[in-house]
Amino acid sequence: MSARDRDRETTSMETSINNSSAGQALGPNSATDTAIFGQIRGSDPGTDADLYMPVPKKPGTHNESGVETAEEAVEPAEPDINELCRDMFDKMAVFLQGELTATCEDYKLVENMNKLTSLKYMEMKDISINISRNLKDLNQKYAGLQPYLDQISQVEEQVTALEQAAYKLDTYSKKLEAKFKKLEKR
Amino acid sequence: MASPEPQPRFGQSVKGLLSEKVSACSGDVIALTRQVLKGSRSQELLGQAARNMVMQEDTILHSEDSLRKMAIITTHLQYQQEAIQKNVEHSKNLQDQLKHLLK
Repeated sequence: MSARDRDRETTSMETSINNSSAGQALGPNSATDTAIFGQIRGSDPGTDADLYMPVPKKPGTHNESGVETAEEAVEPAEPDINELCRDMFDKMAVFLQGELTATCEDYKLVENMNKLTSLKYMEMKDISINISRNLKDLNQKYAGLQPYLDQISQVEEQVTALEQAAYKLDTYSKKLEAKFKKLEKR
Repeated sequence: MASPEPQPRFGQSVKGLLSEKVSACSGDVIALTRQVLKGSRSQELLGQAARNMVMQEDTILHSEDSLRKMAIITTHLQYQQEAIQKNVEHSKNLQDQLKHLLK
């Protein structure tokens, strides 16, 4: 049955209910109700009728007065409406979970970046500590070398003095040689 | 015959109204969730944090490279200091010899 037919029948059902509430009392013997809702228990004891069993009837029947009445063919209750509702809520929960997971993943990304950066800084800290220790040792060793460096300075001064003495000796020896030759010529 | 009662939406069944209400409620829940996320400004802040981190990464790598080079230079200085230590121990003999020469 199409949705359009269902809507038409629902409207007709409401119309018939309104008609019945206007001038007629709703009762088990109401022809309209029987037409709509089918057989009602107790109305015909001789028949095996279930309570309010919906019986699809042929729509658009004409009664004896010539007025067209539409008879509602009630849809059978969907047995899996609970399942559909559960499915709807599950999917809604999955969707909302996905929306929130996106932000969580961003936080995890930034957290991982921070962790990697902190590891990098820890490595740099270790390297810096090693450099600092090595430089302290070097400074101490260079401080221990200072007397030797002073000795080297003294050696350099002494070598300079020796060089000056050597130059003087050289000059004196040349003068002496020249005097000796002069005396030899005489 | 009584006139039919005015319906909230003409020609719409109860089932249609119900399904509309359900879809409206679900849409409201979704809109509320998105509004909460938007109001927290987490996307903006996290995006800005990631951008700043990327900008600093180059500097951090350069600093690490410089520190490693400094460590290598320090090692070379240690080797040189050991060589100097060995050689300056001979300077005492040199000084004694020079003293004798200059006397």
